[in-house]
Amino acid sequence: MADEKVLTNEESVMSPDIFKKTFWRSFPLQACFFYERMQNVGFAYQMVPALKKLYPNKEEASEALKRHLVIFNTTPAIVTFITGVAIAMEEKLKKAKEMGEEGDPESVNAVKTALMGPLAGIGDSFFWGTFRIIGAGIGCSLAAQGSILGVIMFLLIYNVPHLLVRYFGLKIGYRSGMSFLDSMSEGGIIAALSEVAKVLGLVVVGSMCASMVKLAIPLVLSIGGAEIVLQDIFDGIISGFLPLALTLGTYKLLQKGFKTTTILWGMIIVGIVGSVLGIL
Amino acid sequence: MSVIQAVLLGILGGLGIWDSRVMGLCMMERPLFLGPVVGLILGDFQTGIVVGASLELVMMGIVGIGSATIPDTVSASILATAFSITSGLDVSAAVALALPIATLGQLVGVLVRTANGYFAHQADKAAERGDYKGVDRALWGGAGLFFIAYFLLVFLGALLGSAVIGAFVDKLPQSVIDGFSVASGMLPALGIAILMQLLFDKKNVAFFFVGWALSALLGVNTVGAAVIGTTIAYIMFQYGRGRKAEPAAVEAAGEMSDDLGGEL
Repeated sequence: MADEKVLTNEESVMSPDIFKKTFWRSFPLQACFFYERMQNVGFAYQMVPALKKLYPNKEEASEALKRHLVIFNTTPAIVTFITGVAIAMEEKLKKAKEMGEEGDPESVNAVKTALMGPLAGIGDSFFWGTFRIIGAGIGCSLAAQGSILGVIMFLLIYNVPHLLVRYFGLKIGYRSGMSFLDSMSEGGIIAALSEVAKVLGLVVVGSMCASMVKLAIPLVLSIGGAEIVLQDIFDGIISGFLPLALTLGTYKLLQKGFKTTTILWGMIIVGIVGSVLGIL
Repeated sequence: MSVIQAVLLGILGGLGIWDSRVMGLCMMERPLFLGPVVGLILGDFQTGIVVGASLELVMMGIVGIGSATIPDTVSASILATAFSITSGLDVSAAVALALPIATLGQLVGVLVRTANGYFAHQADKAAERGDYKGVDRALWGGAGLFFIAYFLLVFLGALLGSAVIGAFVDKLPQSVIDGFSVASGMLPALGIAILMQLLFDKKNVAFFFVGWALSALLGVNTVGAAVIGTTIAYIMFQYGRGRKAEPAAVEAAGEMSDDLGGEL
C-alpha cells in the first residue's frame, strides 16, 4: 500500500486498516442476494468497518446501517468506487453533525443510487463485454487444444484489471468523494472508453467466429459423371464462408426474438439430421 | 463415479456458486475453469480442459447482467463435463444434457434468492439494534444457503445421473453420435451471436468483420486479433479525445440490455 499517506491526510479519520478491511469485505457483495433489495446486505457488510469507526454508539449505528440496507445493485467488480464515495460522504455527514450543522443523511443514498446505474453500464461493458470476451477467446483457443495455459490466461486477463479496479476504485472513490465522476464525464472520457472497449471486443469476437465455429458440407454431387465437391465451391468464393453465414444467421434469429434454447435445440437437430442424411 | 467423487463435485458446485457470491466474481464460475477441475476430480484432466473450452464457447453469451436470474452455468458445467468424461459423450451431447440441468439450476437459484429474504430480514433486525455483527451473520447465512443448495444439486445430479446417462449413451446409434459432433461445431455460433447482440451498434459493426477477416483470410490467431484490436481501440481513443467527444456519445454506456441471452 504505497499511497496510504494520501488516504490518511489530516482530515480523514479512516485508517489504512479500515480500507484494507473494506476491500476484503467488498468481495461477498452478492452473498445474501435476494430479489427485493438485491445486493443490499452485501453493501452494508462492506460499510461495517467504516461505520464502526464513525458510529460506535448503538443509536447512530442503527441509523447508518438502515441507511445502507436499501436496494442496491451494480457490477461487482466496480462496487468499491461507490463504497469509497459512500464512506467519504458518511465521514462528511459525521463531521457536519459534530460541528452542530444539520447534515443530510438521505444524500448518501441519493448519490449511491445515482452512481450504481451508470457505473453498472460502464462496468458491464468493460468486464463482461471486453475483458471476459478477450479472456475467453484466447483461453478457449488454447484450451481447445488441451492446454491448461488457456485456463490460466482466461483467469489472468479478466482478474488483473478486475482486482486493480477493485483495489484502486475504493481509494479513488473515497479521495474524490463526489467529484470524480464529474471530472471523468467531462469530455466524455468514460463514454469514449466504453466505445473503444466494444470495438476491441468485436474484433476478438469476429476472430472467434472464424476460428471456433466449424461447419462444412462433405456432400459430393455427381452431375453427368462430373463430381462437384460443394465445399470447394464455398471455399472458392471465400474461405470460412459457412461459419460466418451461420453466425450472422443465428444473430438474425436472435434479433427476430427467437429464444436461445430454441436455436440451440434447432442446431443439434439440424446437426443430427444433416449427419444422418450425409449432408453435413 | 464413486460417492467420494460425487461429494467432491458437490463441493465444487458450492464453491462455483460462491465465486459470484463470496469471491467477487473472478470467473471461476465459468465452464472454462470448472471443466479442468472436474477433470482433475474424475482423473481425466485433458478431457476436462477440452470439454470446458467447448462449453465456454456455447455458454459465453450467458452472463449475469442486471438482476435477472439466468440459467445456471455452474451446475450445468460441472455435470455436463462429468457426464462427458464418465460416458465418453461428445461435447455437443454434453451441451444438450447441460440444458435441462441449467434450467433446474436456475430454479434452485430462484428459490435461494427468494429464501434469502429471511436473512435480509435478519439484517434489518440487526440494523434496528445497531448490531454490526448481526449484519455480518445475516450475510454469511445467505452465503451458506447458496453453498448448501448448489452442493446438493450437483452431488445428487452426479450420483444419480451418471449411471442413467451411461446406459442411455450405450443405446445411441453411431449416426446420431456423429450428428452431435457436427452440432458441436455449430454451437459456438450461438454463443458468438449472443455476444454480438451485446456489442453491436451501427457505428462499430465493421470491426466484427475486421476480426473475422484477420482470422479467416489471413490466418491470424485470437491472440493476434486481440493485439490488433487493442491497437485500433487505442488509436480511436486518442483520435476521439483529440477532436473532443460529442455529448451524444455519453449516453452510449447506459444502453446495455439487462437480459442478455436469458433463455438457455
